Amino acid sequence: MARKILVIDDDPDVLLATRLPLEREGYEVYEALDEAEGLEQAKSILPDLIILDVMMGTHTAGFQLAQELHGPDAPAVLRRIPIMMVTAVHQTTPLRFRPESDYLPVQAFLEKPLDPRRLLDEVRKLLPPEQTGE
Amino acid sequence: MQAPDLVALRPSDDELAQTARLLIRLRWAAGLSILLLTTVARWGLGIELPAKALLALGVVVLGYNAALVAEARRSGRPAATARRTLWGQIALDWLAMVALVHFTGGITSPALIYFVIHVALAGTLLPPRGARGLALLAALIVAALAGLEASGALPHIALPDLGLGGDLHRRGVPALAALFFFSTTALTVAELVARQARRLRQREASIRALNEARAAFTRAATHELRAPVASGLALVRSIEHGYLDELTPSQAVIIERVGVRLDGLRELIDDLLDFAASREASVAHPPLEAVDLGAVLADAIERERLLADARNIAVQTPPRTPIMVRAVDTGLSMIFSNLINNAIKYTPDGGIVTIGHAVEHEAAQVTVTVQDTGIGIPAADLPRIFDEFFRASNAKRSKIVGTGIGLAAVRAMIEHYHGSIALDSVEGEGTCVTVRLPFNRQR
Repeated sequence: MARKILVIDDDPDVLLATRLPLEREGYEVYEALDEAEGLEQAKSILPDLIILDVMMGTHTAGFQLAQELHGPDAPAVLRRIPIMMVTAVHQTTPLRFRPESDYLPVQAFLEKPLDPRRLLDEVRKLLPPEQTGE
Repeated sequence: MQAPDLVALRPSDDELAQTARLLIRLRWAAGLSILLLTTVARWGLGIELPAKALLALGVVVLGYNAALVAEARRSGRPAATARRTLWGQIALDWLAMVALVHFTGGITSPALIYFVIHVALAGTLLPPRGARGLALLAALIVAALAGLEASGALPHIALPDLGLGGDLHRRGVPALAALFFFSTTALTVAELVARQARRLRQREASIRALNEARAAFTRAATHELRAPVASGLALVRSIEHGYLDELTPSQAVIIERVGVRLDGLRELIDDLLDFAASREASVAHPPLEAVDLGAVLADAIERERLLADARNIAVQTPPRTPIMVRAVDTGLSMIFSNLINNAIKYTPDGGIVTIGHAVEHEAAQVTVTVQDTGIGIPAADLPRIFDEFFRASNAKRSKIVGTGIGLAAVRAMIEHYHGSIALDSVEGEGTCVTVRLPFNRQR
């Protein structure tokens, strides 16, 4: 069974650019255009990985969604799903973000503009192929 | 939370700390002057004075000043100490002032006028109403002192050698006249000072609001400008790298050209925004804080490594150690991302970029070097290399995309952090950029 990846981004072009390389690699890709739809999909699909844009709508929507998915109040099934956060650029958010588990419940960071090879590298790190034999 | 305009009209921590420092300096001068003038007047000029009392007063003033300095040093947080002790300090100063006036002739004292200085100083920290109240309090204290001395409840100390002898303090008209002129001066000065202080604080608050609005605009514009370019670029790359159908050779060339142009646009936007940020820093002076240069360097190297890997350029990095400097996190990050990106960009495939740092304890600074084996800069262009929109002639001839504002922004930001940047280069051999930044010494 193909591994399922949920991509949440408010930019349809980014969704497309993320979907193309992932599908070529055999992943099953689901899309959500905002945080509400993203949360809904995460609950119903229970994907193997969530790729989340940090700057949807407001500057902090991505962070809030990450908290909802991985915060202490989130259900265990959601907390198990790794999150890869896509950030526009380091310099422009008032918040600091680094993959530090005590600050942000996120497993990896990726910078825009998305480079498809880098994207696939990071996805492979979070979804090691040996576990795909289920 | 209080309304922002009310908060803004209060003295900031910075202002309180400054006032506290000024008070300390004034107090050293006042205490020493009391000791010196009393000695000269009494034993040099033979003027009749309660010398012992005045010398004791001088010692007391110097004593509590020394205690305040020691307390500020001990706590290590001068601003917090100032906020905690300022009104106590002012109360002590007023008591000392009353004693000085008493020992030098009460209502007839030539030192009475100094009270106005105290009223003015306290007035800078208060709204006009509070300042007027304080001036009135000063007038009441002086009137009370005069009354006590006139009634004989407190002994009057006459200074006949200064022409202030006899029963001047007991004669109603001169005493009331002195009191009247003192009170009106104190009130007027308090009002003027407090009004000016309020006006300055209002202006400061509006400048701060303006800066915040501008920063918010820059953040929004950054996102709006970068997002479409980033998604366009991501789409182009997914075609370029063959995640869609196979391209014909001529289509591949065009797609590559589109990618290069979009990349150039992305770079221009980044540089312009960095440049705007460096300009803003020099106007708005965001507070500098302790930042770990080691972590910033490691992040910057990590971000640029992809570019180097793609072109087979070796990036040699220093061991990661915490080095605390005084800067702003995002600005420091911008500086080194720019320098490392430049080094990689202008180095031919297969070259080497070496990043190093050295801590210079005696000079209390750290030196960071970014060295490359790139195309270098012609000697004739070196003097202008930090100019805005200037690009070296060989860079312009090359196909490498650039705007010529990266280095200008980098230098402006480094200077804002009280550091310096130097650049050595030999055309065709490579460039070495040296950045010096002072240590973070504040604890």
